[in-house]
Amino acid sequence: MTSMSQRPVVLGLADITAAEPSRFVIEYGGEYALSLFNLGLACCAVEVVAAAARQDSPAVQSVAPAEVMVVSGTVTDKMAPAIRRAYDQLAEPKYVISFGSCSNCGGPYWDSYCVTKGVDQLIPVDVYVPGCPPRPEALLDGLRQLTSMRLTEGVGPG
Amino acid sequence: MSESLPPRSRGSIGLLEANCTSCMLCARECPDWCIYIDSHKETVPPPAAGGRAKVVHVLDRFAIDFALCMYCGICIEVCPFDALFWSPEFDYASSDVLGLTHERPQLRATMATVRSDL
Amino acid sequence: MTAEALYAVARDATPDASVDGSFETITIDIPAESWVAVAVALRDDATTSCRFFDWLSAYDAVERGLAVVARLWSVERRHGAVIRTHVPRSDGVVGSLTGVFAGAAWHERETFEMFGIGFDGHPDLRPLLLPEGFEGNPLRKEFVLASRVAKAWPGAKEPGESDADLAGAPPRRRRARPPGVPDSGTWGVG
Repeated sequence: MTSMSQRPVVLGLADITAAEPSRFVIEYGGEYALSLFNLGLACCAVEVVAAAARQDSPAVQSVAPAEVMVVSGTVTDKMAPAIRRAYDQLAEPKYVISFGSCSNCGGPYWDSYCVTKGVDQLIPVDVYVPGCPPRPEALLDGLRQLTSMRLTEGVGPG
Repeated sequence: MSESLPPRSRGSIGLLEANCTSCMLCARECPDWCIYIDSHKETVPPPAAGGRAKVVHVLDRFAIDFALCMYCGICIEVCPFDALFWSPEFDYASSDVLGLTHERPQLRATMATVRSDL
Repeated sequence: MTAEALYAVARDATPDASVDGSFETITIDIPAESWVAVAVALRDDATTSCRFFDWLSAYDAVERGLAVVARLWSVERRHGAVIRTHVPRSDGVVGSLTGVFAGAAWHERETFEMFGIGFDGHPDLRPLLLPEGFEGNPLRKEFVLASRVAKAWPGAKEPGESDADLAGAPPRRRRARPPGVPDSGTWGVG
C-alpha cells in the first residue's frame, strides 16, 4: 500500500486560483490513493470532472501535490508552452495520463493548422485513454492501468 | 461491466471479417483517415466445369487507429455489407499510443462484445 | 418593414448599398470606404438602433476577393442586419469598427490574422489566437493543411490493392484525392 507524503508545492499567485486536485482511491490489489490534477483544455475535461464527482472519497484538505496530471482536451500550439510549464512544476513522482483523442494524437483536429498532434509531443505520457470523449469510467480504467504499471512494479516516474 | 452500459454506447468498433469485401468505403469516408486497409485480388476457379472464374478481393490488413478515431460512426453507417459494429467496451487504454491501433485480431475480439439487443 | 428601414438607413449613408435577402437575414453589401459610416448610421438612427455588435469576421470569396462581414443587432427592435464588403486579396484594408463598437477589437484581430485584412484605426492590431511565428493566413482558401499532404490517404487504394502496389509502378489512372490536398508538385512551388 502506498502512502501519500505531504510535499507542499509553491505555485506563487496561482496558489489562490489553482484548482484543488481531486483525490481518487483506486483499488488494485490494495488501495492506492492518487491525487489527480485535471489539465482541462476542452470537452474531455467535463468527463474527467464527471469521473471525479462520482468518487466517494472523503473530502480531504489537500496540500499534497498532484501526482497524476490528466491532459484532457485539444492541445493548441498557443497553449503548448503552458502545458509544458505545468508539467515541469509538478513534484516527483509525477505521471501523465492523456485523456481523449485530441491529447492522444490531435484527434479530429489532426489536420488543423494550430493543433499539436498529441500532448506526447511536449511531455512524456504514461497512459493513453482512447475516446472522443472517453467515458468517466474509462478514466478509472486508465488509472488502474497506471497503478498496475507504475506503482505495483516499483518503476520510477514516467 | 458492459452489461450496465446502454447497448448503443460507442465504446469501440468490431469488424465482422466474413462480411468485409475490402470495398474501401469506410477508409475513404473516415474524416480522420484512421482506417487502414490492405487487400489483394484472387481468382476463384469456376465452381463447375465450363463455368467462369471470378476475381474476389481478399482482405489482408484492416486496422483502426483509436487514438485518432473520433467515434463519429460514419464508417459503420457507410459500410454496405454491415461488417462494422459498435461495441460498448471502453476499457482498452494503453501505455503506448501505437497500442491504440487495433488490427484484425483485436477487432475480431471486439466483435464478441457487440451487443445484440440493440 | 424593418428590413426596409435597415436598408434605407444604410443607403442614406452610402448610395452604393445593395441588398441580398438570403438566409432570412438581410445582408447589405456596401463599398469598403463606407464600412464605418454604415455601421454608425445603423447604430445611431432611431428607426434601426442596432446598438449590439454581434460579430465580425470574413470569408474567402475567391473571385470577388475577401468578404468582410459583420452582424449588428438591435435589442429593442429585435431586428438586425449583416453588413458585408469586399476587399482585394492582397493589402485589403477596411476601417476599424472599434470606434463604433469597442467589442469589435478582438474580432478584428482574429480576422486580421486569419485572412490578412488590415483594419485602419485599430488601436492594437496584432494576432490573437495564432502562436508567435506563425506564417500565413490560415482561413484563406489557398492555405494548405500540411497534415493532409504529409499523411498518405488510406482511401487512395482501390479495392484489391495494398501499400506494396502503391509503392510499385506509377499509377495507371488518376488517383482520387481527398478534399484539401493539392496536386502533387504544386504545393510549395512558386
